[in-house]
Amino acid sequence: MAAADSPSAALRRDLCSRGIRLAGKMRADVVDLLDAYVEQQGLDASASVAAVEGVPLAAVERWDEQTGTQRLLENLAAYRAFRALLAQMLEEQREQLGEADAGLGRALAAVLLQVSAFAYHLEELLRLESRGIPGEEGDGPPPPPRLSLFEQKLRGLGVLRELAQWAVRSVRDLRQLAKPSPATGAAPGLAESP
Amino acid sequence: MFSRWNWVACGFCLMLNICSPDASSGLVQSCGHIIPESPVLALGSNFTALCILNESCLDFGNIYASQIIWKIKNRLVPKEQYREINRTVSSVTFNDTSALATPLTCNILADGQIEQNIYGITVTVGLPPEKPKNLSCIVHQVARFTYVMTCTWNPGRHTFLDTQFKLRYSWPEEIFPDCIPKDVNNSCTITDIQFFVNTEIWVEATNALGKAESDHLVIDPIDIVKPLPPQNVSVSSGVLPTVLKLFWENWISDAVMKLKFNIRYRIVGDTNWMEVPSEDTASPRTSFGVQGLRPYTEYVFSIRCMKEDGEGYWSDWSEEKTGITTEDKPSKGPPIWRIIDTSHSPASWTVHLMWKALKPFEANGVILQYEVTVRDKSSLSSPLKKYNVTSTNHTLQLPEGTYEVTLIARNSVGASPPSVLLIPASNSKAPVKNLRTLPKHDKLWVGWTAPNSYVLKYVIEWCLVSSSSDCNIEWQIALGDVKGIDLKGIKPFKCYLITVYPLYADGQGSGQSVKAYLKQDRPSKGPTVQTKKVGKAEAVLTWNHLTVEEQNGFIRNYTILYKTIDGNETVVTVDPSKTEYTLSSLTSDTLYTVRMMASTDNGSRTGPDFTFTTQKFGKGEIEAIVVPVCLAFLLIVLLGVLFCFNKRDLIKKHIWPIVPDPSKSNIAQWSPQVPAKHNFNSKDQMYPEGSFTDVSVVEIEADDKKSFSEQDLKPFDLLKKEKSTSEGHSSGIGGSSCMSSPRQSVSDSDEGETTQNTSSTVQYSTVVLNGYRDQTPLQVFSRSESTQPLLDSEERSEDHSGGADSTAQRQQYFRQNGGQDETNTDRPCFEGTKQITLAGEGDLVGFVQLQISGQSSQPLGLGMEKNTQEAALSNVLQTCTEGQTVRPETVEENPLSVDEMPKSYLPQTVRQGGYMPQ
Repeated sequence: MAAADSPSAALRRDLCSRGIRLAGKMRADVVDLLDAYVEQQGLDASASVAAVEGVPLAAVERWDEQTGTQRLLENLAAYRAFRALLAQMLEEQREQLGEADAGLGRALAAVLLQVSAFAYHLEELLRLESRGIPGEEGDGPPPPPRLSLFEQKLRGLGVLRELAQWAVRSVRDLRQLAKPSPATGAAPGLAESP
Repeated sequence: MFSRWNWVACGFCLMLNICSPDASSGLVQSCGHIIPESPVLALGSNFTALCILNESCLDFGNIYASQIIWKIKNRLVPKEQYREINRTVSSVTFNDTSALATPLTCNILADGQIEQNIYGITVTVGLPPEKPKNLSCIVHQVARFTYVMTCTWNPGRHTFLDTQFKLRYSWPEEIFPDCIPKDVNNSCTITDIQFFVNTEIWVEATNALGKAESDHLVIDPIDIVKPLPPQNVSVSSGVLPTVLKLFWENWISDAVMKLKFNIRYRIVGDTNWMEVPSEDTASPRTSFGVQGLRPYTEYVFSIRCMKEDGEGYWSDWSEEKTGITTEDKPSKGPPIWRIIDTSHSPASWTVHLMWKALKPFEANGVILQYEVTVRDKSSLSSPLKKYNVTSTNHTLQLPEGTYEVTLIARNSVGASPPSVLLIPASNSKAPVKNLRTLPKHDKLWVGWTAPNSYVLKYVIEWCLVSSSSDCNIEWQIALGDVKGIDLKGIKPFKCYLITVYPLYADGQGSGQSVKAYLKQDRPSKGPTVQTKKVGKAEAVLTWNHLTVEEQNGFIRNYTILYKTIDGNETVVTVDPSKTEYTLSSLTSDTLYTVRMMASTDNGSRTGPDFTFTTQKFGKGEIEAIVVPVCLAFLLIVLLGVLFCFNKRDLIKKHIWPIVPDPSKSNIAQWSPQVPAKHNFNSKDQMYPEGSFTDVSVVEIEADDKKSFSEQDLKPFDLLKKEKSTSEGHSSGIGGSSCMSSPRQSVSDSDEGETTQNTSSTVQYSTVVLNGYRDQTPLQVFSRSESTQPLLDSEERSEDHSGGADSTAQRQQYFRQNGGQDETNTDRPCFEGTKQITLAGEGDLVGFVQLQISGQSSQPLGLGMEKNTQEAALSNVLQTCTEGQTVRPETVEENPLSVDEMPKSYLPQTVRQGGYMPQ
């Protein structure tokens, strides 16, 4: 309880809470963006899209067995990937439509900001765990091969769908992290983390 | 920059002929410049400027730094502030830049003290920016997914310089673009706001003199959101008549922000809002059931929201939506009252039942009808009478008695509790006491002291008193424990008659009434006064009472103001119940102006002026003067008459003295032939005191002397002879006076007093024998009433005249008008005379009196008494001696008539040419 009352614990709790709400809002915004994106790009909402390269899958086995640090690291890796993909989508969007559809561009930019902000939350939580923050891999993932316009649209659809799923998972992860540890006051997963 | 100012400075210098020596180049160069160029200085700081001369100008223009003077906007800078650094550089120092102005110029005094401008700079003075304070931000939701954050701050003092403000915000790893305010310097709006990340926000202010930065504000924008109010609000009524359910939509999803709500509502037409307890709506929702509402009432609802945890701001109130609750049974029976009209017959009532429509919160719906039930309490066997009425009054014809009236209001849901009104046969119960009123703002409070008995309720009746229409009664019911109520809808300045009835369980008390005003004003007009009656010192004024509409309050008194035109105004206060007043102590025959003022508690109003004039004489004053005067006059007249009556003899004596009848002259006694006659006609008998005697004169014309015989004229000849002695003597007072003093006789004839001075006056008639032309006048005889003893000669002449008198009967006679006694005495005389005349006709020798004044004789009356005539007569009187000479002859001629002659008669002789009395 004493740890719970420490400033770091309060900050952690605040970060978790804020991250949960941010992930929830990100989820809602991405869902809305998906509808707008599908309509704008002329896609079928039920179209199946292959997994996006460079993005960890949100669905994992034995999710409840993951440690806190592991959760944070997987989340951070995913959102860094999403940040790069969304930035690329935004650039492609501007190239394709220019200023014709500023609303979609603004929505993409807003989601991009949310992704960045959530990554910042994750980094702060990792700092609180006294864990080093993994550096971003050089200039990021290798540039994707040049895709056709349709493939760009489909990839964008896949990114948004995966982001929506990650938003749900992130809420669950942060809630799990926010639960006070009965023994140490830290997240139970963290102690198990390597 | 330098070249630009160079050209500007050169422009200043062109006219001063400070130009480049190389004119062929076409460019103009300055002979110097100022350092620093166009500085921006802090207000209040010190400042030093240098003016540096070009070397080329030194030789060419022969100018040096010692010749430099500094000017600020054409105002010379004191030389104490100069400093010559070397032959080409001069500096000027200002300890306070607030004294600076633009431009600052460097000038030189060339040969001949000609001032020439070298260079000039613009100096800008201002302040560095202050640290912006009070930075605050709010995130407005402008659409479902759109939020903008507006931050405001206090920019601080005015810097007099162009100051740039920037709103800066960043995340720990990301700096966002600055927000630059447009047209303002104290706020800026950021459009790309991201929630759930702490954002650092601050303001930077920058100008030429420095830079300032506000305190940094670290905040998650989600905590400063002012959301949009709920939309699509709707209201639906439920099954219960006291519940309405609200529905709405939120603009913000729960994922972003959970909301709490405020719900307010009010009855339509009411301005006061009620709120649902906040704890009931502190959780996210989109509907809520508002309970505790009134049935069949229309409500207005409005909702607002904010972040559930209370961070941030409340949204604006949503649009208002209305809803009506469902009906319910009327909650109470209508208040009922009655007016009983017994004008037709005391035994037969016309009962006007009236009740008030239930208020909406009592009716709880639309009242469809009222059910009136009347029960005759005096007769148990009489059936109930029921009436269904849709209006709020009902009139019944009932015989006098005690009744119980029950009233029920019914709507679509059900019936109200019954209202019961007991109508007793008589209001025999105790009334309320000490009924009083008190204005309270726009209400009139009516209070009373309750009777000793328990009162169920009170009925308060009131109506607006009007002089032109009947009292339109309004009424209200108060509970029995109430000691006063406020009457609403009372108009100011109007008189109200208020009556309070106590209602008991078994009867009703008599009503107590009071008149009251909510607010009083001065009367709208003043009384019109006029006079009813105006007297010498008083006036009765009358006026009519003001109508109740004109009074505007209780008339406390009337004031009469009256004055004369130039006098002071007199004020009289009159009781308001009077319509008449008597002004007293007025000045007679004076114009008064009177006016009248009616006063209430709040002022007075004066009526029109009325003028009247008091009378000159008071009532009965004329009579009081005239009647005594008339009475006094009458008394005086009466006294005069009585006096005259008493003194009639004396008056007669003075006015109509007894003229002795010549025919009764004592001369007659002289005649020896008629001594006996004296016995018959004593002097007392012949001439009683105060008797008057008219004298008639018979004229004998001189022309008729032919008719006289020679004998007759003999005496005249004798007179003629005596003329020398008697002429110039006026007629005398008798023979004695004539004889004693002719002068005395003249005065006696002129003044009647003579006769009065003597104890017995001598009246005389004159017989003038006037001669015609140169003829000898006839002898004239006068009569006398003298009491003086006759002289011997007179006695002798009297004796003669008596004979003459009797002989002159045919020519003249004497008519005597005197007292009765005298008349009685004269009449025989006249008769005697006539007889004598008839007897002695043709015998004119012995005549007594003759007047010869022409051819016709004229009778002589009292004209003889006139002074003029007397005077004239006196002139023609002959001396007594002449008469005396004649008389014996006449007596001898006519001895019969001498018996009737008075003794005092003195025959006188008319002198020749004497006056003939007219």
